[in-house]
This record gives sequence, structure tokens and C-alpha cells, in this order.
Amino acid sequence: MTVASTDHSSAANLSIARRLADGGLIGALAIVVIGAIGYYLFPNNLALLTRMTAIALLVLSLDLVTGYCGVATLGHAALFGAGAYGAGIAAAHFGISEPLTMTLVGALTGSAAGLVSGVVILRAHGLAQLVLSIAVIHLFHEAANKASAWTGGSDGLSGIMPEAVFGLFEFDLWGQTAYIYGLVLLTVVFVALRILVRSPFGMLARGVREDRIRITAMGASVNSVLLRMYVISGAVAGIGGALSAISTQVVGLDSLSFTLSAEALVMLVLGGTGSLYGAMIGTMVFMWFEDTLSAINPFHWLTIIGALLVAVVLFAPKGLYGSTAGFVSRLRRGRG
Amino acid sequence: MQTVFSIAVDALAYGMVLFVISIGLSVTMGLMRVVNLAHGAFAMIGGYLASYAARDLGLGYAAGILVAVVGTVIIAIPIERLLYRRLYGATELTQVLMTIGITFCVIGITNFIFGPTLKTIPLPPALQGSVDLGFRSIAAHRLFAIVCGLIVAAALWFLIERTAFGIRLRAAVDNAAMAAALGVRTEIVYAVSFAVAIGLAALGGVLGAELLPVEPYYALRYMVTFLVVVSVGGAGSIPGALLACLLLGAIDTTGRYLAPEYGEFFFYLAVIVIVTLFPRGLLGRSK
Amino acid sequence: MKRLIMTAFAVAILSSAAYADTIKIGVIGPFSGPFALQGKNFKAGIDAWLAVNGNEIGGNDIQIVYRDVPQADPAQSKSLAQELIVREGVQYLAGFYFTPDAMAATPLLQQGNVPMVVMNAATSSIVTASPYVVRTSFTMWQNTTPIAKVAKDQGVTKVITLVSDYGPGIDAENAFKAAFEKEGGQVVEAIRMPLSTNDFAPLMQRVKDSGAEALFSFLPSGPPTLAFVKAYNDNGLKAAGIKFFATGDLTPESDLPALGDAALGLTTTYHYAVSHDSPENKAFVAAAQKAIGNPAELTFPAVGAYDGMYVISRMIEATGGKKDAKKAIEAVKGLAWTSPRGPVAIDPESRHITQNVYLREVAKDESGKYINKEIQTFEKQGDPGLAFVKK
Repeated sequence: MTVASTDHSSAANLSIARRLADGGLIGALAIVVIGAIGYYLFPNNLALLTRMTAIALLVLSLDLVTGYCGVATLGHAALFGAGAYGAGIAAAHFGISEPLTMTLVGALTGSAAGLVSGVVILRAHGLAQLVLSIAVIHLFHEAANKASAWTGGSDGLSGIMPEAVFGLFEFDLWGQTAYIYGLVLLTVVFVALRILVRSPFGMLARGVREDRIRITAMGASVNSVLLRMYVISGAVAGIGGALSAISTQVVGLDSLSFTLSAEALVMLVLGGTGSLYGAMIGTMVFMWFEDTLSAINPFHWLTIIGALLVAVVLFAPKGLYGSTAGFVSRLRRGRG
Repeated sequence: MQTVFSIAVDALAYGMVLFVISIGLSVTMGLMRVVNLAHGAFAMIGGYLASYAARDLGLGYAAGILVAVVGTVIIAIPIERLLYRRLYGATELTQVLMTIGITFCVIGITNFIFGPTLKTIPLPPALQGSVDLGFRSIAAHRLFAIVCGLIVAAALWFLIERTAFGIRLRAAVDNAAMAAALGVRTEIVYAVSFAVAIGLAALGGVLGAELLPVEPYYALRYMVTFLVVVSVGGAGSIPGALLACLLLGAIDTTGRYLAPEYGEFFFYLAVIVIVTLFPRGLLGRSK
Repeated sequence: MKRLIMTAFAVAILSSAAYADTIKIGVIGPFSGPFALQGKNFKAGIDAWLAVNGNEIGGNDIQIVYRDVPQADPAQSKSLAQELIVREGVQYLAGFYFTPDAMAATPLLQQGNVPMVVMNAATSSIVTASPYVVRTSFTMWQNTTPIAKVAKDQGVTKVITLVSDYGPGIDAENAFKAAFEKEGGQVVEAIRMPLSTNDFAPLMQRVKDSGAEALFSFLPSGPPTLAFVKAYNDNGLKAAGIKFFATGDLTPESDLPALGDAALGLTTTYHYAVSHDSPENKAFVAAAQKAIGNPAELTFPAVGAYDGMYVISRMIEATGGKKDAKKAIEAVKGLAWTSPRGPVAIDPESRHITQNVYLREVAKDESGKYINKEIQTFEKQGDPGLAFVKK
């Protein structure tokens, strides 16, 4: 840990350009390449791929607080749903249907929700924290159900008609615009987060996870670090929510549900916590499996998903990405 | 005044049913430090076994309970040997992933074997109908659940605080390496506590079936409620869990009577307040 | 480039219909998770129709493609609908248990040239969301309105309503209130219960305190209905003579064995009872029970699915197997036939099903099985809820 932190604090002094090159670009490139492969291999599956992108943003956002800061939460969909409803309500009630503006509104409402949930959830640790997060997501869900004049309640918020991006690219049945728009958002967010987690602030956040007392002794306020991270995380999840609202043109109460929160956590742990790649790989693998299995057998796919999760814990305890990375580095060391 | 009494009785009955189902989870989470999200799955297995024995085989309610408890423990033993053992000492997130996986499997398998309809456990004549308390009537099976809850609480408290096994268990929890060095066979202690916890889950599944009917999705449907109860009480504390159930039962029941529309708000706001004030639970064991 | 791809897709979709002899029907429903029973009933209804009428309509083979949306999830429903239209090339979308799931898919219909046959989702406004929607199930308003008259006829003037706090529950509350007040009755209190409620004892206390002579209730079929009916008995409301009125959602045939004697004598109004006495229903029940495996699991979504398949078959015949949503919809406007539930028709204005609504009482048949026994018929009921849809 100490070695790593000196290494990175010096990296933090490097120019932005250098930092961009420092792995971030490779990751961004990977997203674009995989995205393009997806586009050409599954041109009729873009709706699923777009949904994956939106959920990947949620899982990335969850990774920021869970993976990087060690906050246990089963209520992270509150941030995603706030973004989705923010963007959706802006479009359906206030006529703000320009996609970039909607995304911005989503990011803002997401951060607001992040601030609120952060204030509540950070008041405890461990199990108690988990329960606080559960309470928060249920309150959000119930509030949205009650405010049905604004949110459409359980019938869902419909009437979202996003304009064409830059007035040129329409959101249509084939979903190419939505997919490319989502992919661009994901790439931009990924690069930003890559810079963030390697910044001094990002290192501080990791420090909080490793050893709170030491961070406090260093004179940093643990809670303020975590709260700021929650707001950032809210913006990321909010962008994901907005993307979901834009691409599906409807927002349901499920976007504020415990189920979605739990699924996001499962995807994150599946991929491996504490790594942006892990978050994305977990989302991709889980959703791809879910889609394929449930298409093959819509009645009994849940059993196989369950078995998959158990298998991952048994054979890849650090998550798919974490365990693979560990395996590769062991191989390398073995050779060297 | 009569209404107040009436609500109090409802609250007590509801709280005790919650207690019977959740107490097993308090044992796994507090004493064995495993976030066992599959607790509901085991309660559900208990319910199915009891339903099968009592309804389909016609063995009666008492036999149903026995079959449920013993059968569920037998089913759980290989699961503990193969899967749960890897979770002792693992991170919470790993535990969450594995136990959710187990829950999904159990849901899928029950749906396949028993189908998606509700299953009931026929009550014996003595527990059917209502008992007149003077100012109101209450379902006989709820009184039975209250009594069972009290017995379970007393027995568990005695087991953990007053027996040699309890001492070993607490020692193993506080410092497994030290306990092992002193000759406590921690593996066996853990296995036995796990069996006790699962047996309690099954018992709760049967006793609570009138309120929380047995169906495949049971395993996930009530998971949150169980988690909340355990953490409000303080994981591992028997009196804490009892207190939490009564308190939450009272809040929930009163809220539902006074303002049913806002019942959810009441309940979860109360949970936030309690957890913020008592981060280790009402009577949680300090670490 | 973009235009090229779009044209390619369009050509692929149009041409697939022109010389296809296999017609795909995409069915979205809850096939796993907490509502798996309802999804299973969709499948049973569809399988029953195929078993009775064969797998071929007008020389075209029929293939059903199922997609699972376990709980109301409009985003997932929409992306699956999109996948069904674009990748699987389905000519018809059907199923839809939850309102938001159906709503989410309606914007795709026009562009995809695909009609949607709603086999369950019961909010009035769905048919107004797109001219390509036909519904073969029911609406909350349709099934609720007659029970208000029943209550009045039994001499009840004060009623308390208890409904689940979500869209359909609120629909039921409004429908009952509107109909009951029109009859001259009074709703003394309207309680909305969170969906997660599992202990109804305090609410029963509320009912007692309200001074109402009867309660009207709606809960979605599932575990809470069992606890609700038991609470009604256990807390002495039945003994106190407070009458129980509800829609048939509280007493679906699949729950009756679990409810047991507690449900005897409950009166509900609904569009379909498995015990409905007609040759059409006997044939349907025989086929559907065989399809579902366990006869006790058969309940209302199956008949919506069965009739949905009939409507689709008429659409296929009318279009000669070609993909033409407009023609298909026009062909079934005003279509009337005898369904297992009785005489029905597709209202040409709203594209919703006009049907009989029955008053039923839970009773035991000769073999000791619990059934919803039909005791009164309200003929040719439309959907009164359409008048209240926000434009």
C-alpha cells in the first residue's frame, strides 16, 4: 500500500495529458473497440447493449463508494433512479427534451440524491450501514410511488420524447443513436473516473477504505471525503439513469428499487470491486448471461444465474477481473 | 383505550412472529459473522417440508414442524460443508454474493418442484379460530406463535449464556485462533451453531406461514425485513432481537393503523433513527 | 452509412414477411420471479389455443417466442420488445402482465409495424397510448364497477375501501367510489395499503372503527391476499357481519386451495371463473389444465392469453400472413365471438374487450373443490375507466 501510494502521488503531479495516457486512454480505447464490435456483431441487439451501458454507469458509480471507499450499500439505485426521474420529469413536464440537457439534469438530480443518501448512509458502518441504505432506497421508492402526479407512480413515467442529438440523430426503433450516445457517455465518464481515482482525492478515498484512523490522524476529514465521493458517484449514476430514460423513453419504479440495487452490487462483486474494469466486466457478463439464459429458458434461468454466482465465489473469489488480473500477474512473475 | 390495547396485542403478535423467523439470522450474523441472505430460503424450505408432511402426507401439525426442522437441517448440512465454510471470515460482499446465489438456486428449484402457487400448512383444530381476550378476539395461531417465540428466546439465551457450549461458541466468535489453541474445536462449534440457526429458520418458516405464506419467492420477499430486524436488535443478541421485534412490531402496527398510506415511511424513518442512535443495534455486542 | 443500414433493416423486416411461412409471435410476461404463476398461465392459455386449433393459421406456421420480465420493469420490457421486433422479426407482440411494461413498448409499434395484444395489463389508458393496441383481458374499472351495484342491492350504504397503494389499486378505489356514489351509497373511508403489507390486523381494526357495513378491497393476487382474507376472518369482522366485496383478484382459483374455508362465501366480481359453465369453457379448461401440468394452477391470465391468440389468428387470416399492423387492427375492430368466459367483442372505438362481468361466490363444488360460483351476470360491460383517462 505504501509503495503504491508514493508511486501514485508522484503520478498525480504529472500533467493531465500524461495522466490521460496513463492507462485511461487504453481503457477508453477498449470501450470504443468493444462497443464497435458489439455494434457490428449484434446490430439487432442494440437495445440490450444500450441497457448494459446505462447499468454499467450505475455499477461504476457503485464501485466509487463500495470498491474505492469501502461503503457497503444495498441502496445505490436511489442515485440511478433519481437521475432517471430527473431527466424524465424534465422532459415530460417541463419540455426539456434536448438529450444533452436531459443528461445534465440527470447528473444533477443524481448528485442531489447522492448527497442525501450519503448523509444518511455514512452515519454507520458495516451491517448498520447496509440497513440504512436499505431504508433509504425504500423511502425513495415510496416517495416516487406517492408523488404519482409527477412520476406516474407504479404505471411509470411516460411521455418522454427526446429530441434528436444535435438535431441530427433521431432516437428510433433500431436504437443506433441511443447506443452510440450511451457509448460516448460511458467513454467520457470512464476517462473522467480514471483521472479521479488516480488523483490525490482518489488516493485519499482508498486510504479511507484501508485505514480510517490513519487518514483522520493525517488531518483529513473522513466523512467529507466520503460525502464528496457520494456526490460524484451520484452524478455518474444519474447520467446512467438519464441514459436509461432517454433510450427507453419511460421510467418505472423499478429504477428506484432494492432489486436493482442488489443486482448492481452483485454485478460489481462479480466483476471485482475496486477497479473500474471490474465494474464494467461484471455488468457485461451478468447482463449478457441473464439475457441469453432467459431467452433460452424464460422459466428456469434464475437457477443457473444462482449457480454462476456461487461458482464465482468458489473459483474466482476476487471477482472475474480481480482474479484474472491476479492470475496474469502471477504468471508474469513466474516467468520473470 | 380499547383501541390502544387492541393495537398493542396486534403489535405483540406481529413482533413475535418476526422474532421467531429472524432469530436464526441473528445467530448466523452476530455469532458466526456471516451475512446470510439465504436465511429466508431455509425458512421457506422448512415451510415446504411442513406443508408436504402435514398436508400431503396427513401427518399433522406437530409432525410437520418436526419434519421441517430436522429435514431443513439435513438439507443444510452439505451446503454448510461445501459452501458456507468458505465464507467464515470472508468479506461481507463475498458473503452477499454467495448467499444471494444460493437463494436464487433455491427459488428456481422450488419453483420447478412445487410450482408457483401458495402452499399452506393445515393448522390443528386447537389453533384454528379465534380466542376471546375479553376486549377483542385474536387468532389462536398468533397466541401460539407468541408462546413459541418466548420459549425459543428463553432456550437460546440459556444455551448461549449458561451452557458449556455457549462459552465455547462465544470464545470461538471472539477469537477463533485463541479458542482453538485452548482446545475448542471451532469447526464443530460452528457447524452446530449453523444447524441451530437453520433449525430456527425452519421453525420460523412454519410458525409464520399464516402471516407470510409459503411460495417460491418467499426467500427474497422478506429478506429485507429479516435483515432490518437483526441489525436493529444488534446481531447476535437474543434480548436485543426480542426488543427490536417488539419495537418494530409496535411502530409498524401503529403506523399502519394511524396512517396506512404512509406506513412504509414510518417504518423506515424509524429504522434510520434507531440505527443512527444505536449503530451496533439496541443491545448489540461490542466488538 | 446510417441510412444504408436503416434501409437494410427495413428491407429485411419487410421481406421477411413477404415469403415467410413461419409467423413469430413475441410474448413478454413474468415467467420467473414472484409472478411466475401468472406467466405460466399466459403460456398455458397460448398452448391450449395451439393444442385446440393447431399450429397453423392460414397456411403459416406459428412460432411463439417468450421473453421474461420478472417484475414490472419498463426499461427491460422495452428493450426486449425491441429485440423481438428487430432481431427475432416477430409480427405480433403479446402478453404484458404489468401496465408499465405494456406502456413502454407502445412507442415501438408504429415504427415496427407490429400490433400489440395485451393479455393482462389492466389500466384503462394503455389502449389510448397507441392505435396498434388491442386488449383481451379486463380493466380494473370494468371489473370493479358492477360490485358497487351488488353492494347497494344488498342494502349496504356505508363502505370502507382498502386497496393496495399502486396504480391498479387506485383505479379500483376510484372506480368503486364513482359507481357506489352514483348508486347513492357512501364511501366512509378510503385506505391505501403499501404493497409490502403482510400483517392486516391493524387495518381490520380500522375497518371496525370506521362504522362501515361492508369493505371493498383490491390486492394483486399473491401471498398478501391470503393474509388479508385470513385477517378478515381472524379479527372477527366476518362474525360481526361486515360484508366483504372485492374484485376476483382476491380469489383467483390458484389461491383458493390455500385460502380454504376462510374464503367460503366471499363475493367478488370478475370477468372469468374457471368453473364457468359453457361448452367453450370446458374445452378450454381441459386443454389449459393439460398445458399447465398442475390443474390447480390454472387461473385468469390464461383466458386472456387464449382469447389473445384467437384475436391474433384473425389478424393473421385478415392480412394473409403479411406484415401489416394497420390492416390487422382494422380486421379485429368489432370482432365478436364466444370466449370461454362468455360472449365477448372488441370495441371498435377503444379496441378493448367488451364482456360479461360475473358476480361470484366462493363455494365448494360436488367434488369438494373450491370454486368461484357465478351467481349473477352483468352483460356486455365496456370499460367505464376510459372516460377518466387523461388526454
